[in-house]
Amino acid sequence: MDLTHRSATLGAVEHPSQTAAPEAAPTAPPWPTYDPSPFYDDLVGPDGTARPWAEALWHHFAELGPEALAERQVAADREIRALGVTFTVYDGGVGVDRPWPFDIIPRVIPRDQWQVIEAGLVQRLAALNLFVDDCYHDQRAVSAGVVPADLVSGSPNFRRECVGVDPPGGIWAHICGSDLIRDDEGFWYVLEDNLRVPSGVSYLLENRMVTKHIFPEMFRHYSIEPVDPYVGRLASTLASVSPSTGDPTIVVLTPGVFNSAYFEHAFLAQQLGVELVEGGDLVVLDDDCVYARTIDGLERVDVIYRRVDDLFLDPEVFRPDSLLGVPGLMRAWKAGRVALVNAPGAGIADDKKVYSYVPDIIRFYLEEEPILWTIPTYRCSDPEARARVLDELADLVVKPANESGGYGVLVGSQASPDELAAAARAIEDEPNRWVAQPIIKLSTAPTLCADEVAPRHVDLRPFTLMGPDGAYVTRGGLTRVARREGSLVVNSSQGGGSKDTWVVDSPSDASLAGGPA
Amino acid sequence: MTADLLGAPGGSTESPGADAGEVDGIAVPDEERSGTMLLARMAEAVYWAGRHLERAEGTARIVQVHTDAHVDLPVGEDVGWEPLLAIAGVDSEFAERYQAASGTEDARAAEEDVIEFLLHGAGNDSSILASLTAARENLRTARPVVPREAWEACNNLWLSSNDLLEEAHTREGRVRWLRRVIAGCQCIHGILLGTMSRDEAMSFLALGQNIERADLTTRVLDVRSDSLHAPGADDPYDVVHWMAVLRSLAAYQPFRRAMPARPQGGSTLRFLLQDDRFPRAVGACLTEARAQLKALPHSERAQDACQEASMVVASAPVARLTVGGLSEFLEDVELALGEIHQRVDETYFRPSFVGWEPTAAAR
Repeated sequence: MDLTHRSATLGAVEHPSQTAAPEAAPTAPPWPTYDPSPFYDDLVGPDGTARPWAEALWHHFAELGPEALAERQVAADREIRALGVTFTVYDGGVGVDRPWPFDIIPRVIPRDQWQVIEAGLVQRLAALNLFVDDCYHDQRAVSAGVVPADLVSGSPNFRRECVGVDPPGGIWAHICGSDLIRDDEGFWYVLEDNLRVPSGVSYLLENRMVTKHIFPEMFRHYSIEPVDPYVGRLASTLASVSPSTGDPTIVVLTPGVFNSAYFEHAFLAQQLGVELVEGGDLVVLDDDCVYARTIDGLERVDVIYRRVDDLFLDPEVFRPDSLLGVPGLMRAWKAGRVALVNAPGAGIADDKKVYSYVPDIIRFYLEEEPILWTIPTYRCSDPEARARVLDELADLVVKPANESGGYGVLVGSQASPDELAAAARAIEDEPNRWVAQPIIKLSTAPTLCADEVAPRHVDLRPFTLMGPDGAYVTRGGLTRVARREGSLVVNSSQGGGSKDTWVVDSPSDASLAGGPA
Repeated sequence: MTADLLGAPGGSTESPGADAGEVDGIAVPDEERSGTMLLARMAEAVYWAGRHLERAEGTARIVQVHTDAHVDLPVGEDVGWEPLLAIAGVDSEFAERYQAASGTEDARAAEEDVIEFLLHGAGNDSSILASLTAARENLRTARPVVPREAWEACNNLWLSSNDLLEEAHTREGRVRWLRRVIAGCQCIHGILLGTMSRDEAMSFLALGQNIERADLTTRVLDVRSDSLHAPGADDPYDVVHWMAVLRSLAAYQPFRRAMPARPQGGSTLRFLLQDDRFPRAVGACLTEARAQLKALPHSERAQDACQEASMVVASAPVARLTVGGLSEFLEDVELALGEIHQRVDETYFRPSFVGWEPTAAAR
């Protein structure tokens, strides 16, 4: 196991230069007590001054003063409530709609770093798609010894029903939401690939909309990459995999109004101008085609952007008790009569054990060096690694290999002795279920807290689209912020907030984002 | 022109093209296939959004006007607050909640109780707030087919109506609250009128709206018909009552312009039942509903029901009805309206799909 990957790669990289822009006039800092150390902060450098790309923001906030800033936060909250931007949390089995939590202080990322990230994300998704396709065909990666056989056939995300299927262009994961983080030196890492039903893009788009209304004046100071093109690119990606000629009929398939991401499903259907369907709205007939129950009878559906998990898609094939899916849907998909986006089975490539092999997967399929860095990962199934994990548990993050949403994650340094002991037992009982990673000192961004602006930990979820005709990466992404001091948990399902994220034209040290392409 | 939402959609129903299909087993792309469709479930959601929005606005108007009229009448001459419950069709629900609880079945219903019940009372599924909530839920479901701004306006109206509910407990605050509801509903209508394509979803919304409107006008007339039953009696407050009827349907000014007579039973009835231009007159609602149905596929049965109802209304012997039999007649109208809803429901929202083979247009 290669645990030296990071240091080996990073050794060659210079530290970020912190040269201030020459024309910057000295200004009183907007938040005199703001101190992000020992973490890397997106807007504030170690000497307490603005980073070059954040200077205009910095001056503006200094002029604005804390009261006006608080007022704008109130205005933003009001707008989000009025727009009906919500997410659903489950409390004791009851779903409650909450207004989307949004912090008005934007996060700024220099474009030169973003270009590296963009290239890296496309490279990564291309390789992962080749890997998925291989998993359901010859499994060349297994026979070549790149990944162990167990990683594929032993995975709970391996779908036997997908073996031999050829989706258009060999693409299984058309939409990927990647989680990126930065360490205490500002280096970017991929933390997770989400290839199943990644959510969050609606909030990315809505955050920008709200920011434009709350800080219209700031858009004069910056040339900010727009995020709007995503929807058009999503539409053309969906259309590009249609099995029919002519204008395809596209639908978004939602589990229903009680799903935590229902807002997003409705938002995307509205933005795409397509119908939002539930399982009960669709039917598969003997011709293996999928039809929607419309006011004009049954109408053929060509592309389903499904936001329902694999196992609920088709009660004939997967969970027979599922009422969310469509009986016969897998049959229609395998017959090539309907496109499913993402394809069933794509999740084989996004569990946390596969994650540790992604650099090798990229080298194997693309014969390229990975552009983006990954975090060294101990697989607890390996006896040697397991011993080390159990030994150093307090200094590691332990994660279940197949969960998402931040559930089941244990941060060793923040855990009680009882929690550590329980985690150790869980690892020994089912080593296969767990991976561990060193604790990354997650970067921070200035965040409006109760009555002050304070550093809070952030991550970033950009979205990558991939179709037979090409790829697209959102400019920036959804920044999620842990609102409690010291907390590393950014998931909105667990109290995290969000920020608008600007990719701006300002020179920086692009090598922070990854190796040479 | 403000209160009416929708003109008849242009264009006629297109019959499913029989020319597209398969040639030697290869699907031939059908040029008619536009990539847009309307789910039965969405159609139902927008239909009910239309009905609930109309009910919220209609109820708000009636409560507001009743409050005004009540103030105009000397104590003892007023008609109390029960008629409001009858118009909303919730008298028994009210009795169950309030009068049974207090054991004062004979006493007149207290103003505060009636108002509370109509605005937001627990157990009243057609209270203004319950209607707004239902409209919002339906628009939420139908978000993909209605303009974003319309959903936002509805969400906002729902939020503010909840936030400011406290103020509705005084007569003065109540006027403000009701005005906000009326203006909010009009704002949503305006957005729909100004930004929504005249598509099938719009037709269902307008259909729901017009059926609800016709229903409400019928019920207002039914409850007020009581005061007709003293033929020839020179009730000095007769005009006040009929003015209140017209005002509660926003019909006073249009009535004045259209009818030379002062508001009395006969002229008011004729206007509110048979006028074809005033958007809240039953006749006009039915004409509009039928025009919307014509734009929808498979609407023949519902159109027939609509025409049936139109004929019932158009043939109303208005002069005779002022002397007696109005209640029975209005019951027939209500039944005819119910039949339209029934057929819309069967045709679009609850079809069995048995025997619904994919049409050529669907391929």
